[in-house]
Amino acid sequence: MKIRSIRLENVRRFTDPVRVDRIGDGLNVLCEPNEHGKSTLFDALQAVFFKAHGSRDKDINALRPHAGGAPEVSVDIETGAGLFTVTKRWLQKPVATVHRGDTLVAQSDAAEAWVSDLLGGDAGGPSGLIWVRQGMTGLTGGSKKEQDAALEARRDLMTSVGEEVEAMTGGRRMDAALARCREELANYATGTGRPKANGPWKEAQDHVSALGETRDALAATARDLQEALAERIRARRDLAEWEAPEAVADRRERLEAARMAHQAAERHAEQVAAAARKVEMAQLTVDNIGERLKTARLARAEQSEAAQRTADAEAVAKRTRTEIEAARVARDQAEIALKQTAERLERAEAARSVSLRAQAARDGAERRADLEARIARAETLRQSVEKAQAASGIGPDTAILRTLEARAAAHAAAIAARDAGAPQLVARYDAGRTGTIRIGGAALDDGIAMPLPRMTTLEIEGIGTLDVHPGDSARDDAVSMAAKAYRRALEDAGTETLEDARKAAAARAEAERQLGEAKAALAGVAPDGITKLREALAAIPQPEDAHDQASDPVDAEAEVERARAENNAAQIVRETANERLADAREAATGAETMRSSLLERLKRAEDVLTRLGETGSEDALALQYKAALAALEAAQSAHAEQAAQAPDLANTAAALARADSVEKRAREEVARLRPLVARLDERISRSSGDAVEERLAETEDALVAAQADLDRIEKEVAVLLRLQSALESARNDARERYFAPIAQELKPLLHLLWPEAELTWGEESLLPDALVRDGQTEAIDVLSGGTQEQVALLVRLAFARMLATADRSAPVILDDALVYTDDDRIERMFDALHRQASDLQIIVLTCRQRAFRNLGGNALRLAR
Amino acid sequence: MAFRFIHSSDLHIGKKFGTIPQPADGNIRGRLMEARHSAIARLAAAARDHGAAHILLAGDTFDTATPSPSVIRQALAAMGEATEVTWWILPGNHDNLREAEPLWDTIRRDGPPNVVALDTGEPRDLGGAALLPCPVEYRANASDLTEPLVRMPSPEGALRIGLAHGGVTDFNETGASISPDRDRSARLDYLALGDWHGRMSVSERVQFSGSPEQDQFKHDRRGVCLAVQIDGPGAAPQMCEVETGTFLWREVPLPLHRGQDCAAALAAVLPASGRRDILMRVAARGWAGLADQAALGKAAQGHAPEFAHFDLDTSALGTEYDTADLDAIDRGGALRLAADALMAEAESDTRPKEDKDIAAAALARLYAYVREAAE
Repeated sequence: MKIRSIRLENVRRFTDPVRVDRIGDGLNVLCEPNEHGKSTLFDALQAVFFKAHGSRDKDINALRPHAGGAPEVSVDIETGAGLFTVTKRWLQKPVATVHRGDTLVAQSDAAEAWVSDLLGGDAGGPSGLIWVRQGMTGLTGGSKKEQDAALEARRDLMTSVGEEVEAMTGGRRMDAALARCREELANYATGTGRPKANGPWKEAQDHVSALGETRDALAATARDLQEALAERIRARRDLAEWEAPEAVADRRERLEAARMAHQAAERHAEQVAAAARKVEMAQLTVDNIGERLKTARLARAEQSEAAQRTADAEAVAKRTRTEIEAARVARDQAEIALKQTAERLERAEAARSVSLRAQAARDGAERRADLEARIARAETLRQSVEKAQAASGIGPDTAILRTLEARAAAHAAAIAARDAGAPQLVARYDAGRTGTIRIGGAALDDGIAMPLPRMTTLEIEGIGTLDVHPGDSARDDAVSMAAKAYRRALEDAGTETLEDARKAAAARAEAERQLGEAKAALAGVAPDGITKLREALAAIPQPEDAHDQASDPVDAEAEVERARAENNAAQIVRETANERLADAREAATGAETMRSSLLERLKRAEDVLTRLGETGSEDALALQYKAALAALEAAQSAHAEQAAQAPDLANTAAALARADSVEKRAREEVARLRPLVARLDERISRSSGDAVEERLAETEDALVAAQADLDRIEKEVAVLLRLQSALESARNDARERYFAPIAQELKPLLHLLWPEAELTWGEESLLPDALVRDGQTEAIDVLSGGTQEQVALLVRLAFARMLATADRSAPVILDDALVYTDDDRIERMFDALHRQASDLQIIVLTCRQRAFRNLGGNALRLAR
Repeated sequence: MAFRFIHSSDLHIGKKFGTIPQPADGNIRGRLMEARHSAIARLAAAARDHGAAHILLAGDTFDTATPSPSVIRQALAAMGEATEVTWWILPGNHDNLREAEPLWDTIRRDGPPNVVALDTGEPRDLGGAALLPCPVEYRANASDLTEPLVRMPSPEGALRIGLAHGGVTDFNETGASISPDRDRSARLDYLALGDWHGRMSVSERVQFSGSPEQDQFKHDRRGVCLAVQIDGPGAAPQMCEVETGTFLWREVPLPLHRGQDCAAALAAVLPASGRRDILMRVAARGWAGLADQAALGKAAQGHAPEFAHFDLDTSALGTEYDTADLDAIDRGGALRLAADALMAEAESDTRPKEDKDIAAAALARLYAYVREAAE
């Protein structure tokens, strides 16, 4: 259905009739300031659709103007069957009519039935669902009655497209089953599925573990008891064996026998030891006598040998003494001969020296005269050299002269260059006036150019002076530098002028040539210098007088040779004699030493013999030795016999020790076993008195039962958990299925604002209870006011679409439904409205004139 | 003159029955223990009734190697009070000589004069009969303990009565079983055996008396002892079973099928009277629907308190689901979804058995909740 126009009369402030006409198909906007009756319009619409004309309730009374009167509302409605006019008046002469054109279609209760039918039967219809009172920006609100009506409407609508929510989600039966399941589960487990403290599950677990521990402890005790029993049996058996009388007697006999045997063996061993000592004594005697016998025999042999050799040594000593004497005489004679030959050699050498000097003096006379002449000539030449040398040092040499000439040329060139570039002054005198112009006193020539390289003062006769400044003086500087160099060169040459210098240089060259000639002559006369000549002269001996008697040098030399040969021979003779003497002395010393040592040996041997002679002769000693040997043999055979008969002492000692240890062990074992048995008795009587096995059997039974109990509880918990999860997941599935149609309608609208956003639904309220954005779930009531009203509006639009789908389309009426929404969001809400307006009639009542200017749509007016 | 005696075994005095669940207001374990002790008086009465002067206990008189002093003393006192009979007690594996040494010491030292501990393999004179005991030395034996009977001497003209403890079938191939023809090989007039808790006749002369008071769901009758009469050497023994048991341990199968009235079926297999002295175990098997199972459980709860012990074992009972069961939960919606999911899991071919069992139990529970809420 679509509303085409509305007429109000006697409704609150509108005592006079007002109309809203030309309500279009899609989006219609009535934009009026506050207090202009928008809400009155809304309430009137509510009343005409939902309030029976006979109603006098407070809603109807609220429509009545202050002045009183009967509120009357008339609405033009277009349905598939055509255009109808529904009119209702309340309180006074209440009436309800439905007209089609001028034809009355229904009136009174029939008209109410017609309206009710139009709205979709008994159900609440669009009120609250898509008709929203001013300021109801949230999904819920209004009076309890309104909320109930809205819930009914939602339930009706959703059920009409799906099934009953109750049927779908199981409703109370499901709740009861789930609650029952949770209640039973809570008895056992915590919310996370762990055993609950003090619950039967936990108790069963604790019971099992406590019993397990008790069982283990008892089993250990029982094991101890069994071990103690086994040990006691062993200990008793051992004790009985140790303490058996025959065993005791046997041990004692064995010990006694071993002791006797060992004592006998010890006594025998002592006897053997005594025999051994006797053997040792006899051996000592034999050794002693044997030693003495041997010494005596050796001493006698030594004595005879030493006596023999001493005699020989005496003879040798005597002979060597004679030989020394002879050697000494020969040596003395050789000494004398040597002395004589030495004297003769000395004389011969002196004679040869005199002879040689005389010969040299004769040979040097001519060479002396020659040398003296050469020395005189060399002295003369040396004076010439010195003179030439002095002359050659005067005057400039060739290099200095060349430099001087170069500087003079440079100086002249500089002057020429300066004069060529300098201002020139040419004087042309009048007749008779020549020379009246002067420079530095010199007259200026007539007609000849006079260069002016620097400031020059002209003295003009009869007139005065004229200063001429040529300006640039660079060339003048070059001239003065060249002049300076030229002067320095002249100084180097030591002359005033270039000409003088050239003359001096020529004189120097002449002197140098003369020096060379003098030097050459001097080198010819005295090639090694005059000093050498003088030394040669001095080396020539002066002739002496004695030289005249001197012998011939050849004879003198021969005499020397002869004397030296004699001397040498005499020297050899003396050396030989000396050596012979030394040899003889050495031989004598050796012979003497031999003799005295032999004498010593002889004395020692005689001493030994003397000493031995005191105890008896050698023969007596030999007899004693034989007797001692016999005694030794007797002692040895006696000892051997004893030793062969001796029992093994180690064996008897070991046997005794063993018998002893057996006895000792027996005593120890008995001492150990008796208290052990007593202790075991005590342990066993205590444990068996505790009925450990009985309790163990009981505990094991109890453990089996407790474990079965625990298994049963665990299975119970598993069953309850399984049931709980089955119920929960079934209910979630059902809920999703139930809300699928509305979610389907809502999805595109929601995505205009929040891509990928979703709403979850409360199955009690049949309203969204949370907004899911970016995986975050936010409860609706904690969202901002703007977001809440946007969600609410979108949900209403989705409901409207569902109504349309259910062929129960009704206009969406929004009375200031967007209060908090900002400008950006509102544009998108407008988009949503337009989207729905393509096949829904939407009537927007708003006071936000400016904000809603961009909404567009068909503008409505309240017209009187 | 005929020789008469009582043959019994496996009294297991002092057994605690810890695995039997004890209801908060019940005392079943105490009653079971007491019944074991009172077997002594019943045996003494049986001896009196049959004119027997000797009671032969073939081992396991006590349940453990170290019973508590009160258990020992009270048992010995009860025996001592039956002054007209002599008790011949053979060590069994539970009270073997080695582990129960203190027990046998106590019996020898403090036992009444008419109680004889057969702690050695020496023949005993019963007056006209030679008792040839084979005491058990260790808990586990590796040989036939009756072997020495072959060479055991007995006075000329006296009966040879063997007394031993052990099985005749070698279950675990230890070689410790008793040769079934020991009576012939050892020229016995009678071989009194213990260890098997049920009554069993191995051959004419080789007998297990069984325990005088049962302790397990195995033999399906009350415990007995044997009153034996032998008219002379070589004569066939005449045995008379004397019922001595207080409690009946009863296990019955309960085969169920779909659509059966489970409660009625259960009632039919239960004994009508004497329930207080009956330990009952019902092993349900076959198939039942969810509703039937609920009904069975409820019926069992109704019967259980009347019995000394009641145990309904449904582990072998399969659950059949049909649309009606699931419809009873809900015809549609989330509850039905949950039920469908659980059923699919319970009947899945790929899930492990534990998961399937849990899912089935969860479904049964859901059914119970919904029914409970509906009532």
